[in-house]
Amino acid sequence: MIEFRGVNKWFGALHVLKDITLSVEPREVVVVCGPSGSGKSTLIRCVNGLESTRDGVLVVDGHRVGDPTTDMTELRAEIGFVFQSFNLYPHKTALENVTLAPIHVRKIARSAAEEAGRELLARVGLADKFNAYPSELSGGQQQRVAIARCLCMRPKIMLFDEPTSALDPEMISEVLDVMVSVAEEGMTMMVVTHEMGFARRVAQRVVFMDAGAIVESGTPEEFFSNPRTDRSRAFLGKILRH
Amino acid sequence: MLENFSFRTIVEYLPLFGHGLLATLWLSVVSFAGALAVGIILCAMNLQRSRLSKVPAKIYIDAIRATPLLAQLYFLYFGLPRLGVVLPELVVGILALSLNSGAYIAEIIRAGILSISRGQVEAGIASGMTYTQRMRFVVLPQAFRVTIPPLLGQAIVLVKDSALLSLISVSELTRAGQLLASDRFMPAEGFITTAACYLVLYYGLKGLAALSGRWLGVQSVRSGA
Repeated sequence: MIEFRGVNKWFGALHVLKDITLSVEPREVVVVCGPSGSGKSTLIRCVNGLESTRDGVLVVDGHRVGDPTTDMTELRAEIGFVFQSFNLYPHKTALENVTLAPIHVRKIARSAAEEAGRELLARVGLADKFNAYPSELSGGQQQRVAIARCLCMRPKIMLFDEPTSALDPEMISEVLDVMVSVAEEGMTMMVVTHEMGFARRVAQRVVFMDAGAIVESGTPEEFFSNPRTDRSRAFLGKILRH
Repeated sequence: MLENFSFRTIVEYLPLFGHGLLATLWLSVVSFAGALAVGIILCAMNLQRSRLSKVPAKIYIDAIRATPLLAQLYFLYFGLPRLGVVLPELVVGILALSLNSGAYIAEIIRAGILSISRGQVEAGIASGMTYTQRMRFVVLPQAFRVTIPPLLGQAIVLVKDSALLSLISVSELTRAGQLLASDRFMPAEGFITTAACYLVLYYGLKGLAALSGRWLGVQSVRSGA
């Protein structure tokens, strides 16, 4: 579903992705973790072309990302992206946030989109917030609207870029619960997160990155109980200490 | 001092000032509409990635902002006819105000668009929207709100700048003051009345700004903008 083969990326002189080779199967959930600045956000931003790559091959859903013959807007419609800072449209209600792209990108009739949007908002526990503006919602509620906004496009892949990092601790679980339910429905997911409980529960694989390279990759059990490299051991020591 | 001040003459000339007020008002409205059009086009050119469209817009904006409106007006009024383009005074006046104000408006709109966070644009990109869709549904509606107050400020500047048109004998407010001053040798009465009329227009626009501000305030509380 997603395949990186020898992908490199530079920000100026900074080598942010080093020879990345990684493949994500359909219905697979892959958690990407690593210290800050290790390139994990950049990695998933490449998947939908928010970042460009310099060399190597990146194939998503059978299309080469960055290839001139690939219609990126069409490909992006198949890929949901959840941001750390939610990025809801502040001038639109929760329901309008969810239905905007389905109506204008997918060309779904407004009534059908609104019906689907209400259903999805109800599913993420916001049945009473259809007409609320983002400023009237808590961080956790905003992030759940953002997830519903992605789901309303009926995507084949969902990418999460530190979805709970900007949230107060008591709101993290309400967002993770929604993500677990999406994963359990068989969505193909790449999730950048340090929520190791989430990784243990739904991930088939944990990928550990450091300094732009994939250092280690394995099942959550392997990775947490028996990290193979010094760097992953040091990292886990830091995030699991408390 | 005031025994020399003739209120009676002012009253006598009020119809002329009424005329001038209306003239200033409508030519300001027309010029502002023109300036908006010029500003939107310039701003669109300026935001393109291609230098071919960006550079001319930047040069134009700099050239207008760096030179006095009076020089621009004189160029259009005295210069253009020598180059074979003869236009009526009123058209020259409206043209000068539109071309001048348009450069400032282009920068106001650009600032509004650039104030929208990158995250908003990325949310649009990630959901598969095209550039036009992102602009239409995400960026412009938000930029519009930020732009209204400075645009009204620019409208006030334009109304005052329109006084320069009296120099090419367009009959408007300042021209009315000049007429009273020269007919009756009463510059004090003439220009204080002119000034009072501008004040009326100013408060009108300010009221409009407050009204739109209140409306936008309500909107932004709802939207957190």
